[in-house]
Amino acid sequence: MKNLVYIKGTKQGLVLQLDDQCAYADLLAELAAKVSDPALDGSAEVQVNLGFRFCTEAQQKEIVATIQTNTHLRVSKMMSDVITVEESNRRIQERQSETYVGIVRSGQIVKAEGDLVVVGDVNPNGKVVAGGNIYVLGRLKGQAHAGANGNREAVIAASWLEATHLMIHDALEIMTDELTVLSEQPEMECAYLHNNGHIIIDRLQELRYIRPEISTFKGGS
Amino acid sequence: MGEAIVVTSGKGGVGKTTTTANLGTALALQGKKVCLIDTDIGLRNLDVILGLENRIIYDLVDVLEGRCKVHQALVKDKRFEDMLYLLPAAQTTDKNAVNPDQMRELVMGLKEQYDFVIIDCPAGIEQGYKNAVAGADRAIVVTTPEISAVRDADRIIGLLELEENIDPPKLIINRIRPHLMKAGEALDVNEITTHLSIDLLGIIADDESVISSSNRGEPIVMDPTNRAALGYRNIARRLLGESVPLMTMDKQNQGVFSKIKAIFSK
Repeated sequence: MKNLVYIKGTKQGLVLQLDDQCAYADLLAELAAKVSDPALDGSAEVQVNLGFRFCTEAQQKEIVATIQTNTHLRVSKMMSDVITVEESNRRIQERQSETYVGIVRSGQIVKAEGDLVVVGDVNPNGKVVAGGNIYVLGRLKGQAHAGANGNREAVIAASWLEATHLMIHDALEIMTDELTVLSEQPEMECAYLHNNGHIIIDRLQELRYIRPEISTFKGGS
Repeated sequence: MGEAIVVTSGKGGVGKTTTTANLGTALALQGKKVCLIDTDIGLRNLDVILGLENRIIYDLVDVLEGRCKVHQALVKDKRFEDMLYLLPAAQTTDKNAVNPDQMRELVMGLKEQYDFVIIDCPAGIEQGYKNAVAGADRAIVVTTPEISAVRDADRIIGLLELEENIDPPKLIINRIRPHLMKAGEALDVNEITTHLSIDLLGIIADDESVISSSNRGEPIVMDPTNRAALGYRNIARRLLGESVPLMTMDKQNQGVFSKIKAIFSK
């Protein structure tokens, strides 16, 4: 019979390569047999590679549980070559940039899954929320929340950064009077989340050094 | 077929009712047939400012609930022959007595008989506001040079821009005190218009006689020498499509000599 579970040793530790063509029940049975092999002694972290098999979250948990019946083994990572259409769409959306042309007025909220470009002002009590970065071609005088879905690398950039509240991921900065003194010239500025958990405001020109990955152009002539 | 204009502001006390009364009167003076509708049900004032309080028999709610015909409820302002009419609000009930569909139908009917239907909107963004904007074709946003009024105007403009049947709103800045503006103590006209980024329809100087004339029940616009009246007349002309330059606010600092001269030239 064909071997359904390969155990490979790599630099990163053990990798369990699971066959992606056989029946799920057969795979689980063989996996159970393999991990209970007394030859596997000594504790180890293992990575699981599902190949082209799609497993639901419940199935993934079942596989982890089966492996961890051997108390020496701990699953550190699940790898798979397939994702659902839904997941794929979500990822595309997160990378997409949406554009809002007009003024975000008091009481209005403009939301985007990915990056958000606002061509116009964001007035006081207006709010812009994005899963990715926020760029305002105008005066940002209201509130902005970048990286709302957990992206700590997100930035907020504006032609005039005069916001009342800035949020990146879960960090909040209230633009108090002391801070406005710091940036007397609110023209062409950006805000990013520093490693110390605080939001820092800097000149827009610094952005290419602070977050080089935002630029999608490589090289250049 | 006339057009319906709603006068709104979000914040209370910035001069919506005064503006409605004076614009209506100014348009009537220009020879247009005007109907004013007070939608501030439960807190009506437009009738008082026009001096028509004791001539009300039926009101807006009576019309919408079928207790009378529209023409029975309309109060004619005898000062302007057949040009100015008022449909007063009810005082004994509240804003929930009316819904936007009823208002739309009522305004449609009135537009056929009048050149201008001007709707006085209550403060706030709730039911009363929704009723007032329902039948309107155009909107005028009134604000004063105070940050709180400008914030609320911003909110109201945002809501008006969501209404598909209403043209982009126009702005009136009311109660301008030139000496405060000059000293930088109050927002200036430019700041307000760039912040709200809508077209400016006109500016009205703050004038004490507006209060006294409202108390007498005579809209200030009837006094042609008053500077606030001039502001309202200019706005009425702009509504009729004329291009009138914005009035300057610098006449405040007249010297003693020119004041004396003014007394003798009267």
